[in-house]
Amino acid sequence: MSEMIDIIVDSQSYKVQNGSLLIDLLIKEKIKVPYFCYHESLGADGNCRMCMVEIEGQKRPQIACDTFIKPGMIIRSKGENIEKVRTDILELELINHPVDCPICDQAGECSLQEFYMEYGLHDSKISISEKVKHSKHLDLGSNVMLDQERCVLCARCTRFTDKITYTHELGIIGRGDEAKVTTMPGRKLDNPYAMNVVDLCPVGALTSKDFRFAQRVWFLQTVDSICHGCAKGCNIYIDHNKIKYQDDVIYRFRPRRNDNVNGFFICDAGRLSYKQLQENRLESAILNGEKITQMQAIAKAKELLAKHKENITVVIDANLYTEEIEAILAFAKELNAKVCSPKEVYRDESFKDDMLRSSNRAANYKTIERLNIDTKEPDSSSLILNFNHPQDFEATSVINFLTHNRLSLGLSLPIAAYSENEGTLTNEDGFTQKCEKAIFKNVPIPTIIEHLIRLRR
Amino acid sequence: MSFMFSKENLLKIEELKKRYPNPHALSLPCLWMAQYQEGFISLDAIDAISQIIHMPSMEIYGVATFYTMFRLEPSEKLIVDVCKTLSCKLCGSDEILEHLEKNDTIKLRHVECLGSCSTAPVMQINDVYYENLTIAKVDAILKELK
Repeated sequence: MSEMIDIIVDSQSYKVQNGSLLIDLLIKEKIKVPYFCYHESLGADGNCRMCMVEIEGQKRPQIACDTFIKPGMIIRSKGENIEKVRTDILELELINHPVDCPICDQAGECSLQEFYMEYGLHDSKISISEKVKHSKHLDLGSNVMLDQERCVLCARCTRFTDKITYTHELGIIGRGDEAKVTTMPGRKLDNPYAMNVVDLCPVGALTSKDFRFAQRVWFLQTVDSICHGCAKGCNIYIDHNKIKYQDDVIYRFRPRRNDNVNGFFICDAGRLSYKQLQENRLESAILNGEKITQMQAIAKAKELLAKHKENITVVIDANLYTEEIEAILAFAKELNAKVCSPKEVYRDESFKDDMLRSSNRAANYKTIERLNIDTKEPDSSSLILNFNHPQDFEATSVINFLTHNRLSLGLSLPIAAYSENEGTLTNEDGFTQKCEKAIFKNVPIPTIIEHLIRLRR
Repeated sequence: MSFMFSKENLLKIEELKKRYPNPHALSLPCLWMAQYQEGFISLDAIDAISQIIHMPSMEIYGVATFYTMFRLEPSEKLIVDVCKTLSCKLCGSDEILEHLEKNDTIKLRHVECLGSCSTAPVMQINDVYYENLTIAKVDAILKELK
């Protein structure tokens, strides 16, 4: 392709590809440049005019997001001139903005707020009563709420529905100060990726109905993880917080950029899957419907293992981490047990689409295949050890290791969910990715590996 | 879909299609045709146009709301468009607007430049320009139209 050339930004030389976008270089080299409308997934639009830089030989400042790099360019991104320009443009953005950061859900992760602290810090020259009023809480559908007054008309959301999902629900109507983002009258934002517009929105105009007012963003801790919704393995951030005297709680999932796997986005089903993860958890061991202590449960399990020396089957959930699956396989070998992971239950053709969602709803299915684990239903056995597989199986005796409450007979032991444990997953395209431990519960639930150690004692 | 273009309009659209390399260029002519046919532009009409010119309905809706001359709601009252731009303002359109605002029998709209600055102030009723207006003249025109 095109050759590498040298350009100078703020009297420092950089090697870049000829003809690439200037703003990409500035973002990559972490040179401070404010912008609203540019986004790497959506390309340049050039409507917010915030990313002004000075280019030697040109009369006026130019926007970096629409400037293609040419040999010998000399660029200044700092200085009195350029700060003045940015301050002036920011003032235009703020004319009709309500400046209600204290009650805005985006505060803390809002580009407008950041740039205001950097370049603005002036009182609005227009009184509140003179500002153009728009709708404040419009329910756009798909869990997205719109506040038209906070919108800076960067058109990221409309470009997302035009260029990424091709559903064209959002658009900008009207002109001048009456312009606003909206859907067609009587129609809703309705696509399986709709909530990505909340992440795309640089200001507090689009907020998630699910997350808004749940938590201030600066209280949240962020941990890298992988979505367990399907075999695609989309990279996510888990945002969680442990309020004093309460338990650690996940407040939201956000997409994490990975160009090899999911790009910039995740689907809404994956984004909201944190709810199922936390609800209805199995927290204490259960024997035939009665709560028992962990010690009693382990003793009971050992008793069952001693009783059924032969004809044991171990069933493994294809959502477990690779480390856990390998530990279970080693344990099964010691018991001389058959191992299987029935796959039919993970198939969901209705979930599949041609963006990110896969019809295989098991996050670590590739590992089950790699380790040659039988994917058929188990034969009749005298003892079944079910490691969180979603199906229930019949046998003379059953020991379940479950993350969530389930109506099942026999012995059930609680195990840590994926957010409370760390490990690796291999997605359907063969990428092995790591999940960090996010949640530290007040009363930790043992992991599968801890259970196996206790059973061996 | 309840809106259908009339036969003549469909022929006109076919004729216009040959003129432009991209059918998106037909959005404005189609919006005009829909407005003349029904008196206003309904959402059904926007959907019909969307199918003809292969452009998302939302985008056409955005175009229709951008221009002040398109009406998106039917009106039983007489629609009076008064120019609110510079030349007319300097020549006294404010007085005329103030006068017309008291009149309940008409639907008054402030529109962008009507392009007849030499004869300001100007108003438009049913595609006819009324120029060099005074309050007396406006009253006479409205009386005649009733």
